[in-house]
Amino acid sequence: MEHKLIDHLFRHHSGKMVSVLTRIFGLKHLDIIEDAVQDTFIKASLSWRTKLPDNPEAWLTKAAKNRVIDIFRKLKTEQNNLPNLNQGTDTIALNDLFLDTEIEDAQLRMIFTACHPKLDSRDRISFALKTVSGFSIKEIASGLLTKEETIKKRLSRARKAIRDANIPFKIPRGKALKERLETVLEVLYLIFNEGFHSNTKEKLIRKELCMEAIRLTKILLKNKLIRTSETYALCALMCFHASRLESKTNTENGLLDLKNQDRSLWFFPLIELGNTMMNKAVENSEFSCYHYEAAIAAEHLKARTFENTDWYKILYWYQCLQILQPMPTHLLTMAIVCMQTNDFKLSKSYLEQIKPDDLHQRAYLFYGAKAEFYSKTKNIKKAISYINLALMTVTNSLEKDYLQKKKRALLNKKK
Amino acid sequence: MKDFMMIFTGADYTDLGLSPEELQTRMGKWFAWGNKMQEQGILKGGEALTPQIRRVVGKNRTVTDLTSAEVKEIVGGYYTVSAKDFDDVVKIAQDFPDYDLGGTVEIREIMVFDR
Repeated sequence: MEHKLIDHLFRHHSGKMVSVLTRIFGLKHLDIIEDAVQDTFIKASLSWRTKLPDNPEAWLTKAAKNRVIDIFRKLKTEQNNLPNLNQGTDTIALNDLFLDTEIEDAQLRMIFTACHPKLDSRDRISFALKTVSGFSIKEIASGLLTKEETIKKRLSRARKAIRDANIPFKIPRGKALKERLETVLEVLYLIFNEGFHSNTKEKLIRKELCMEAIRLTKILLKNKLIRTSETYALCALMCFHASRLESKTNTENGLLDLKNQDRSLWFFPLIELGNTMMNKAVENSEFSCYHYEAAIAAEHLKARTFENTDWYKILYWYQCLQILQPMPTHLLTMAIVCMQTNDFKLSKSYLEQIKPDDLHQRAYLFYGAKAEFYSKTKNIKKAISYINLALMTVTNSLEKDYLQKKKRALLNKKK
Repeated sequence: MKDFMMIFTGADYTDLGLSPEELQTRMGKWFAWGNKMQEQGILKGGEALTPQIRRVVGKNRTVTDLTSAEVKEIVGGYYTVSAKDFDDVVKIAQDFPDYDLGGTVEIREIMVFDR
């Protein structure tokens, strides 16, 4: 007898169950709902140990339905304004809420709730990961490189904001939908980036954050009224990046890191999915930041070797991106891109536009780029002084090793 | 061959704040263990127990309801296996998934009466 469960079945079902039950009982009972769902999974994990049900998913949905009755009983002693379950028609209506399409609708409502403007931007991510994605406080903390205490605080602040503002469990309409969707995409983008760029040693949790962001983006794309070309572009971007998760090393030196990656480890099904998404994304001509970022990622993937990269095209996409969303990190990247094509004049002009302070804790990347610039233009003395500056400001040990190696190479050149 | 019971105590999942994902992973380990014993043909039976306890004590048959929090070592379940001796069962018990959560495996031989 082979026991096998779908990967992440519990995690995914947790988000579904919490969402459906919230739709029935309202956001104000979220605590009770989350406890009840957690309890269901504990029970399942114990009773399934020795015998797996024939249809685990149906088992879980049935369990969620049973929870409706439990929660209803629990709440009934406290108040009266609850749906009347004794009437047959109400029960039918309740049953309908457990249809797949309605579950998806409930999940969307939860995603949009997590991204409500009344919630602090950092609290949104934690809240989404907890309620929509079923991550534990410990998992969120390790994924976001924060303490568990901090996550607990963020979660309770988010819940309080939802209660205080009496946020309805709904998907906004019209203009409000457009605005909220922007926040939703931003939150999903941030969740993905936390996974993709984070330096936590636990590779698994990073990968899971990325895959979760993709899964949630796909849920948005399923809904005709909600999906936009921007959403498709974001999904393409995530797929392209995620395809090289396995080969990625733990550094922030994105471009330079690409040089040393084993391209045979790239995961092609994700690249293909990204291409499909990208084709959908460009069906209308309105391009977002996600479009350009996806185009850049795709350009890197197109090159069979680092040397084959079409840097001119990449520079062009960055220029478009910089117009839409001016950022010092884009300037920095463009400066490095220009160095690949030996266009040192343009590279210098980009570097001159950057104030290291604007990069905050990533200032070392600027000094590193300056060092690279002077190394390429044969001013070894200056290159070494900038690499020293970079070493003074870097905190991540992997990055530090990388810079040390550069420094040794420079010192050798000097001899 | 003799029959032994492995009794699992401690490691109550209720208050550990495990995520659905972690619960599924743990369950996967239980599956793997159960499968392994089944393939070896040594598994005789077993059950998992819920953490609710009703205790009947004393001459007066006093009945009390307890929760897992009130009991030091709660029995979570058991497996019966057939094995050569205690050492053999100790080997089998290496795969018990919940040592890291403070779980314990207690091995007892099942008594056989002469007929």
